[in-house]
Amino acid sequence: MIKSEADSERTKLKREISELRAALNRKEQCLRELEAAVSVGAGAEDHAEENALVSPGGTTHTKLTNDDIARYSRQLILPDFGVQGQLRLKNSSVLIVGLGGLGCPAAQYLAAAGCGHLGLIDYDEVERSNFHRQILHSEARLGISKAESARIALLELNPHCEIRCHSRLLYSQNAMHIIRGYDVVLDCSDNVPTRYLLNDACVMLRKPLVSGSALKMDGQLTVYSYGNGPCYRCIYPVPPPPEAVTNCGDGGVLGAVTGTIGAMQALEAIKVIVGMGDVLAGRLLIFDGSSSLFRNIRIRSKRPNCHVCSAQPLITELIDYEMFCGMHATDKDNPLQLLAADERLSVKEYQEKLQPHPHLLIDVRPTAEFEICQLPEAVNVPLVEILDDSYLKRFAKQLEDKELPIVLLCRRGNDSQIAVQHVRNRFPMHSIRDLIGGLHAWTNSVDPNFPIY
Amino acid sequence: MSTEGPVVNVHVLFFAKSRELANTPRSKVDVPVEIIASDLLDQLVSRFGLTSIQNSLILAHNESYIENLSDKILLKEGDELAIIPPLSGG
Repeated sequence: MIKSEADSERTKLKREISELRAALNRKEQCLRELEAAVSVGAGAEDHAEENALVSPGGTTHTKLTNDDIARYSRQLILPDFGVQGQLRLKNSSVLIVGLGGLGCPAAQYLAAAGCGHLGLIDYDEVERSNFHRQILHSEARLGISKAESARIALLELNPHCEIRCHSRLLYSQNAMHIIRGYDVVLDCSDNVPTRYLLNDACVMLRKPLVSGSALKMDGQLTVYSYGNGPCYRCIYPVPPPPEAVTNCGDGGVLGAVTGTIGAMQALEAIKVIVGMGDVLAGRLLIFDGSSSLFRNIRIRSKRPNCHVCSAQPLITELIDYEMFCGMHATDKDNPLQLLAADERLSVKEYQEKLQPHPHLLIDVRPTAEFEICQLPEAVNVPLVEILDDSYLKRFAKQLEDKELPIVLLCRRGNDSQIAVQHVRNRFPMHSIRDLIGGLHAWTNSVDPNFPIY
Repeated sequence: MSTEGPVVNVHVLFFAKSRELANTPRSKVDVPVEIIASDLLDQLVSRFGLTSIQNSLILAHNESYIENLSDKILLKEGDELAIIPPLSGG
């Protein structure tokens, strides 16, 4: 067999194996869900998923077992923690919202430390781009629910931890019901609407909210709704406009940065539960990973006219947070629709009709992304350089020729539309179009070997 | 920055989105010794291109949140101002 044939055979087999593995994971998950439903149905009339933990208070532990003593010995001997701290942890229940870059390390340290009951919420499924930071998930669990995947990993770490999965999107109609059953909530989410939803629900239910966030090389951490401290709305009464919000998929993030903040969320939750140390309430911790600097900003006390946590709140039940923020409660990108159909090109059309002829192909992604992969003949002009017109000088000569077609492209076909609008305003007589679906479409419809990120 | 009367030179630190918009992690600016916090914020916003996040950020003076933007604040040479927008990723 010649080398190229062997290569393509290898690629094909690998793809088939990963598809089979994903199918196996889906079946195993169906089985687990069925078994969970049957066991709950047999025990009580409760609905399996919706209900929070069956009252951890039902069986309050007053003694540590020999296994506990051996397992937790290194923290039991801490004077401020001790047996009482361990028992409090064992009797506690913590809800972790989001099993991503923050939620994985947070859950890992809480389970390992002996937190008795963990609730895990995530609507999403494990994919390859998660692994660099979402360290509970593994290759073998590609495609299964993140909450389930985390549960499997956590039980390997500590089989004594009782874990309840909520594999669904948290929203106004189910939030109060789910949160009610827990002592402390960790906001490990990745979007603005969920942050306001969790804040309001935790204020209404008087649950401490350990709020962590991270992007690129930056992290933030504080505890809301604790003691006399403020809530998220006291600090940020107005959500940022959608165009000012960057998600990890677009901005990037380093796993060690989310790991730092996630581990600290576990630490704050333990301090809240055990009653030790100074809880990070009324202070915002800012982590700058690029210079390894931690800063504490004294944040305000409760805002006297806060819409949710003041004495006369305007918001007394949960609202529609996607509407309030003008954004979806996920970190997925939505395709923009800025251009008419005749202002755009499918990747196939481009490949067949334009690629063989003279044209100017401009890739508007940031330079770091262009370095990952690029089409032949593409020149890189990041969107900012289109929008500030600094591209004009560089292409002065080509732009004189009205007959030279210009094609703009990006990763998914959103930024390229913004770029077309801008360039077309200046050159209304030129043929300027973008590639629908960007490089992702190129991989899906033209060249399956072109990398996707 | 527009100034009348005595001025001092202070450090401004930019975090998260504001660092991208300002295109720098830190800067030094001349500001009046006495200024209403909202006027100070307006000046920083227009000078560093922060209009899009003006309504959702923390302005901190020497590591303390400025609670009331209508308060007059007193600045000294070398003071530190920080612009801190929320981060929502995870």
